[in-house]
Amino acid sequence: MSRFDGGVERLAREAARRLGRRTFLARLGALLAGGAAVPLLPVARASAGGARVPGPSEDVEGPEGDPARCEYWRHCAIDGSLCACCGGSATSCPPGTEVAPVTWVGTCRNPVDGKDWLVSYNDCCGKTFCGRCMCNRNEGERPEYHWYRNNDINWCAGARSQVYNCSIAVVLGQATEGQPEK
Amino acid sequence: MLLAAVLAAAGPATAGAPGQHFLLHCAGCHGADGRGAPGVTPSLHGLVGLLEAPGGREYLARVPGVAQAPLGDAQLAALLNWMIEAFSGRPPDVPYTGAETAALRTRPLRDPSAARPSP
Repeated sequence: MSRFDGGVERLAREAARRLGRRTFLARLGALLAGGAAVPLLPVARASAGGARVPGPSEDVEGPEGDPARCEYWRHCAIDGSLCACCGGSATSCPPGTEVAPVTWVGTCRNPVDGKDWLVSYNDCCGKTFCGRCMCNRNEGERPEYHWYRNNDINWCAGARSQVYNCSIAVVLGQATEGQPEK
Repeated sequence: MLLAAVLAAAGPATAGAPGQHFLLHCAGCHGADGRGAPGVTPSLHGLVGLLEAPGGREYLARVPGVAQAPLGDAQLAALLNWMIEAFSGRPPDVPYTGAETAALRTRPLRDPSAARPSP
């Protein structure tokens, strides 16, 4: 026991020789201040953003824009969660979901080349609602009675599961003219 | 580059106005390849058989999706002719005309499934 006491005493005296009394306070202060700064990191900001949580490719910028953003030109008539923020991409469904075989097609103008493109808005189905990157642009969208140009319909109707997860925008080809509803 | 040009030229989107009208007004349900979705929407392949069945010619122009498409009569006739050739490998012996689709589309089918002729 005395050997243990001796060891502790030696360590304590050694620490007292090397460390100023204020060192502990300085390190504790640094820890508290650093801890307070952790929420400022980008990771934490993403979760604090409210309803719209940026996707992994949020910072991708290019001449045609960012497929994970609502403003991306292909999304001109989309209504739903962007799959690029849900584990998929602007043109592919997230793992574990199924692309609906039945969809609707419209046209969007690419501001970079000034051309109209045929865009198929397919829903991805089979997992619960993603909810990230909600995007509700309705250019050329028509009311429900014009059902094949309507984006309020759950287009998972033709899939095995009718549970909506997110939406993709697939370019089918170039259009020589915009859709007649525009 | 050349291959890309050839592939682009072969795509349905560059098939001219009828091909584009197909993609815009039909492909959402029947698929860009016209094969439909099993159990959901019928395939458009082999339409010549349906066209040549009794009542088939009228049926194709009176199906609601065709009759009510936001296209002019001549555009609709061109679309039908294009579709039959694209998915059957040969054009209709007697192409649809604008006057024909104009007359037929005034009577859209109320029950397309029951009215579908057997090829």
